[in-house]
Amino acid sequence: MKQDYFSANNIKYIDYKDVEILKKFINPNGKIISHKRTGVTAKNQRQLTSAIKHARFLGLLPFVVK
Amino acid sequence: MPENENEIVSETNSQIYELGYLLAPSIKEEDLPVNYGNIKELVTSFGAEVIADEMPKMIGLAYAMQKVTSNVRNKFNTAYFGWIKFAMGPDKILELKKRLDLDPNFIRFLILKTVKENTIAAKRFVRGETYRRPRSKSPANETAVPINKEEIDKEIDALIAV
Repeated sequence: MKQDYFSANNIKYIDYKDVEILKKFINPNGKIISHKRTGVTAKNQRQLTSAIKHARFLGLLPFVVK
Repeated sequence: MPENENEIVSETNSQIYELGYLLAPSIKEEDLPVNYGNIKELVTSFGAEVIADEMPKMIGLAYAMQKVTSNVRNKFNTAYFGWIKFAMGPDKILELKKRLDLDPNFIRFLILKTVKENTIAAKRFVRGETYRRPRSKSPANETAVPINKEEIDKEIDALIAV
């Protein structure tokens, strides 16, 4: 992923409920993939990180996958 | 009169919030609309204007959650997940949080600042379909061509003749 996924798909607000999108940005262990590998802009990466963390809090995404 | 003025002020200062919550799975399916209605009523009772919401749905949790209610530790692997988006004055949101903290039906809830626009819909159609369609079309076109039996017969005859 070289180009920013969110600006390419015209997503302005990253929603924590959109688990299908967020799943693209976590690795098989459930960790958040770094901006170097995702190619997401710094601003969107910050939004993405908090969206994933909110989703984790409400049990939509795992903290760890063993 | 001063009350009215206060209301106007609070409307102009209102902020969009979203309340995401997990309800305990011990609630029966029949009682779910009642709980859902109560949450909506509670939010509107604080002078909020509901923008969007979704009925709580049973989901499997990504990890087991614990909550202590009346000195009993409960473990949850499933829950009803629902959300409600509303506009409310920032001075009242803390009161709402305190009320929700006391509610035993909630496993967890999350109050977030958000935007008025719909944030979920229309995203999913962007990628998946545009990538898949050309692939599914190309084999369909190939199968459509060899229907002409006469042409095939002619080609076979030509091959045999050589």
